[in-house]
Amino acid sequence: MTPEQIVTELKALLDDGKVLDDPENLDHYGRDWTKMHAPKPVAVVFPRSTEQVQALVRFANEHRVALVPSGGRTGLSAGAVATNGEVVVAFDYMNQVLDFSPSDRTVHCQAGVITEQLQQFAEDNDLHYPVDFASAGSSQLGGNLSTNAGGIKVIRYGMSRDWVAGLTVVTGKGDVLHLNRDLEKNNTGYDLRHLFIGAEGTLGFITEATMKLTRQPDNLTVLVLGLNDLTNTMDVLQTFQKQIDLTAYEFFSHEAMQHVQTHGSVQAPFETEAPYYALLEFEAVSDQVMDDAMTLFEQCMENGWVMDGVISQSETQAHNLWQLRERISESIAPRTPYKNDISVIVSKVPEFLREIDDVVTHHYPDFEIIWFGHIGDGNLHLNILKPEDMSKDDFFGKCQQVNKWVFEIVERYGGSVSAEHGVGLIKKDYLTYTRPPEEIAYLRGIKQVFDPNGIMNPGKVFDLD
Amino acid sequence: MKVLVAVKRVIDYNVKVRVKPDNTGVDLANVKMAMNPFCEIAVEEAVRLKEKGIASEIVVVSIGPKASQEQIRTALALGADRGIHVETDEEVQSLEAAKLLKGVVEKEEPKMVIMGKQSIDTDNNQTGQMLAALMGWGQGTFASEVAVDGEKVNVTREVDGGLMTVGLKLPAVVTTDLRLNEPRYASLPNIMKAKKKPLESVAPADLGVEVAPRLSTLKVEAPKQREAGVKVEDVAELVDKLKNEAKVI
Repeated sequence: MTPEQIVTELKALLDDGKVLDDPENLDHYGRDWTKMHAPKPVAVVFPRSTEQVQALVRFANEHRVALVPSGGRTGLSAGAVATNGEVVVAFDYMNQVLDFSPSDRTVHCQAGVITEQLQQFAEDNDLHYPVDFASAGSSQLGGNLSTNAGGIKVIRYGMSRDWVAGLTVVTGKGDVLHLNRDLEKNNTGYDLRHLFIGAEGTLGFITEATMKLTRQPDNLTVLVLGLNDLTNTMDVLQTFQKQIDLTAYEFFSHEAMQHVQTHGSVQAPFETEAPYYALLEFEAVSDQVMDDAMTLFEQCMENGWVMDGVISQSETQAHNLWQLRERISESIAPRTPYKNDISVIVSKVPEFLREIDDVVTHHYPDFEIIWFGHIGDGNLHLNILKPEDMSKDDFFGKCQQVNKWVFEIVERYGGSVSAEHGVGLIKKDYLTYTRPPEEIAYLRGIKQVFDPNGIMNPGKVFDLD
Repeated sequence: MKVLVAVKRVIDYNVKVRVKPDNTGVDLANVKMAMNPFCEIAVEEAVRLKEKGIASEIVVVSIGPKASQEQIRTALALGADRGIHVETDEEVQSLEAAKLLKGVVEKEEPKMVIMGKQSIDTDNNQTGQMLAALMGWGQGTFASEVAVDGEKVNVTREVDGGLMTVGLKLPAVVTTDLRLNEPRYASLPNIMKAKKKPLESVAPADLGVEVAPRLSTLKVEAPKQREAGVKVEDVAELVDKLKNEAKVI
């Protein structure tokens, strides 16, 4: 089919005005936050229901047209990028909360519901949706689930996967499946729900999801501590975890904080300059918890792990302290950062970090390295900033070399090349560092079952042959 | 010189306030409380005066229930030297607050009283002015800059359309506006040290004041919910709606 024929046929399938093919929209909907690939889809379509998505998939099978899903387009691994004449299926108009059950504490949403919309809905009903990250204001639920998004509260609440009670999917064959029926307990063989979570749309598209909600957190209190050394991140974590359930444990380097301070008007937590900082959050439900926190802090000071620290005295202060961590990404964005999102088991973090830091600074002393991450769950974001006088191509070329070294270390430590950003196009070549060939062969086999014609987000995660 | 700072315990600025179902007030059960943001600025200003060597002692005072001691402790952690808690479970309105503060001022004899221009719960913006009047002192309200010069203080005030600087003879009352300074965080080592700083508790009767509200609240209502907007097809429809429905053109 020619692109013109495809557009004409699509218009017959969907409501008028829900098929776009002008260059500006093709460019906009053809990519996510990654800017490394030139988008080149033939059309963007906006279905309004599971039935319309099913019709699209059937059409795509019949005419062998590839489909790429598009949510909030905040992905960092080019999982929602269309470079090869695909039809982009954007879920922007499937943004309705369909049902809410206070007694089950579940909410049934269309895939295009924005994360923040879901969080707000929960709050309006005195409940809480705990998955949270910097892009929550744009990212959509379908995308969160397709990439199994993590974020800043994983240490306490787990990943997006842990909050799914049920899914409605359209498989690559065009079947509509209602997975797990929103049940809490359902041991009836393979749980297909979990196959679709994190599959990046390669098996089918998630069109609806029933999400679990929980109680609202009580009196969230934030500590920011200045650490003497990288290994102290683990000492402090272990000390606090013995007595307090943390809702977040983040770390960032002094360099990261400097960028945040120069970029926006964010106040330093204290005057003492520390090489690394840790941000801890917990529910201060009683005076006892507060007293415990103080005692633990004292212990950390006595052991020489911590140089200084502050504690939020109000929600405003808690919010402002979080800015130190949450604004890192945007503050370094002008410097064209090369981003890596790697993980190892928690206990190996300091050793692992130091090894990578050594490798990168040894080979590229001119590179500025910004470390931050959800260190409480072993997840680190390595950001390399482009030197001002280096061309983009030259820089990304050198980063490919860095990648190899970094991922060899990841492999040696038994870690993951993508902790929470997914694989997409960008990490595809490195998948073998985390998953051996025989495992990838099984993945291909699964893909074959759900998407025999290879039309669902082709080329993402792995190639078919 | 000695500086007295008044601080108030209020609902945390970030908390979404809910009206009680019977419309008698705002629901305070299990709501996060914090120091009034303008009072934080007052404490910060006092601490800066001390760091500059101008203030020699900072006394922090708060009026309210037992829990107000939390806010006094915060101020002590930020750099105040000692605290006075005027303990009462009654509702304290502006004039009573000013009278109680007058009692403390007469006892402590500070050269300057720094306080927030208003508290974010009742938004009255009265206590500082009333205290100045009761004491017969000068007042520099809505301060965006405070410059002490010997026995004088120059207070730059944010007024409509610009800035106005008033020169006051000390002792005087200064009330703080938002842009005076950016309050620091209470550091953990200082919070621990603050636990050992003296905090004295007094009753309103000790200051010769009877706390009895003069105003009664008739009704508290939440703001009207905004209605959803509508999409218009074209400019003509928009103009028609503006003319005939909204009647703004």
